[in-house]
Amino acid sequence: MHYAFMLLTEAQGKALLRAAAVATPSSQELASLDEARACRLEFPLAVKAQVASGGRGKAGGVRKARSAAELEDAFRGIMGMTFAGEAPSSVLAESWLDIDRELYLAITIDGAAGGFSVLYSPRGGVNIEDGPPPLAYRIGLARNFRAHAFRKLLEPVERDAKLRERIISTARRLLEVATSHECLTVEINPLVALKDGSLVAGDAKIVLDEAASFRKAATAAAIAASHEKADDTIRRCADANLMLVWLDGEIGLISGGAGMTMAAMDAIDGAGSEPACFLDVSGNPTPAGFGLAFDLLDRAPRVKGILISMFGGGLHTDRVAKTLIEILKARTSTKPVVLRLNGTRSDRASEILREAGYGNHATLEAAVTDIVERVGKAA
Amino acid sequence: MSILLDASARVLIVGITGKFGTFSLKDLAQSGTKVVAGVAFGRGGEAVEGVPVFSSVAAAVAETGANAALIYVPAWGALDAVLETIEAGCPLIAYPGDGLPVLDAMEMRAAAQANGAHLVGPNSPGLVSPGKAKLGFMPSFCYTPGPLGVISRSGSLSYEACFRLSSAGLGQTSVIGIGGDPVRGVNAAEAIALFHDDPETHAIVYLGEIGGSEEYALADYAKRADAKPSAALLVGRTAPVGKKMGHAAAMIGSYAESWAAKVEALGAAGVVIARDLDGLATAASSALTRSMKPA
Repeated sequence: MHYAFMLLTEAQGKALLRAAAVATPSSQELASLDEARACRLEFPLAVKAQVASGGRGKAGGVRKARSAAELEDAFRGIMGMTFAGEAPSSVLAESWLDIDRELYLAITIDGAAGGFSVLYSPRGGVNIEDGPPPLAYRIGLARNFRAHAFRKLLEPVERDAKLRERIISTARRLLEVATSHECLTVEINPLVALKDGSLVAGDAKIVLDEAASFRKAATAAAIAASHEKADDTIRRCADANLMLVWLDGEIGLISGGAGMTMAAMDAIDGAGSEPACFLDVSGNPTPAGFGLAFDLLDRAPRVKGILISMFGGGLHTDRVAKTLIEILKARTSTKPVVLRLNGTRSDRASEILREAGYGNHATLEAAVTDIVERVGKAA
Repeated sequence: MSILLDASARVLIVGITGKFGTFSLKDLAQSGTKVVAGVAFGRGGEAVEGVPVFSSVAAAVAETGANAALIYVPAWGALDAVLETIEAGCPLIAYPGDGLPVLDAMEMRAAAQANGAHLVGPNSPGLVSPGKAKLGFMPSFCYTPGPLGVISRSGSLSYEACFRLSSAGLGQTSVIGIGGDPVRGVNAAEAIALFHDDPETHAIVYLGEIGGSEEYALADYAKRADAKPSAALLVGRTAPVGKKMGHAAAMIGSYAESWAAKVEALGAAGVVIARDLDGLATAASSALTRSMKPA
């Protein structure tokens, strides 16, 4: 199963941090109004939406509560919102921090490092992306982490030796979280430096490596939970081994392979239209796989026409042609369809299609031009 | 010449008795590649299509002099199979499988480096040196011998791109799939260095995509005074931010990972940019023309 990525909620992420001895604020996760009313944390509190997507702060998902009444208001307000289409499962109420400075500290996967990198910025917070890029300490394998190497990089940007050492020990703990839970990202933004000089995780963004689910029960459980919550079309595709990402355009694209699907999306853009989806059927180029693809695109109101572009390598395009004819014959939708089957046995595929009354384009570009024109005329 | 793989390759297939292993064996034989051994744990002494099967990689290497391995095992057994193959002294290994935990990819990469072996993959169709040998499952009809060194992050894109290059009379020394995952064996920088050192490669064609930072290795290389000319096609110009486009590493997380940032860096470094697949052959041809001019 392939999902966008397995991002834990802040509350789940902070539980992993606490278990690795990274300080987090006093907190309570509140899933109901009764729980909010029973909350015994000291005010003021930060009240935060628990969702598996970023940017909630800018979207109004983080509020300050100075009293029980404000906490109740904040709870109702946040639970009634959605963030990138997702309703919060709960809110996290946390002691308001006495912030001296906001830092940024993260462990990420870095291809150039052949493994992990530590990222650090002395200016963290919501606008991290607008500032200069964080400094990167490239480690590779976790066991290659060296405090002295990281210290050398930190010295020019952090003059306070005590703070520097706290950052280094926190980085090591984050690396431990990343390896023991098999994470692709362990990010703390902001990592809050309190007035007394200690560090506390103000937020937690942890992305699990879904490929490790065969040996990580917690990851398998997180994938199953995400499956439950996923949009119905995405879930059906995942079950059928198709890869679907909905986009904003009008051309329903069915293609094979991630790279070629993106190339076809770009070609549609080049011809003056926009793709309605990234839909890669190479994982299941069977009557079931193509049938599901057509079903979803025929039902989607935004899709005005369908382009099927398959380049046969190992795939025999004559078989695809036979499959498509059966689907097209049975189909009731009147959305225009354009076919382009090239590669292995495409001569035979063209023959099969012609005998059934369908054309086969010789190139991706010709097919794209055709579908864009047909959709334009229908509009 | 070519990189890493030539006509002297003696190929070993780990997982040869599986459906995909046996399919690949027949496909390699048709392409003229010598497959000398197979490995299937616990099935030593058997044969598949006349190729002897061994129970360990070490035994297969010792008995047959295999010097290139193609590994078809599921992700959960991949690290062990790759480590066994590296430790048996095999200098070239392709692991095409996808869905490999990134921790295992890191370990594979480190082990290959420590032993002086080259690992191609994960999540890659492998490596082909047209007219010489193939260590992977890419469709042979797409390739023809010639002066281009091709590097690709995507299997499907490399098939069609090479088919178009070959059809335009632009053949390849070698085509290496560096894979769609964030951590890989041979990476872009290393593949570029190999093509740089190959006298028969006159120009480099890079097939990249959004996400990650591999493309910047080509920008760094292209700035060198002694760089071979290069052309690049990056796909995903129309991909949204923050969505994984099929490949584990094909997701725009920051501006540097976007199409625009990468194309700008490559263009500024002197790489010929193909905006679409349609423009690839022209871009590659233009890079080749540059290679023929005296510096």
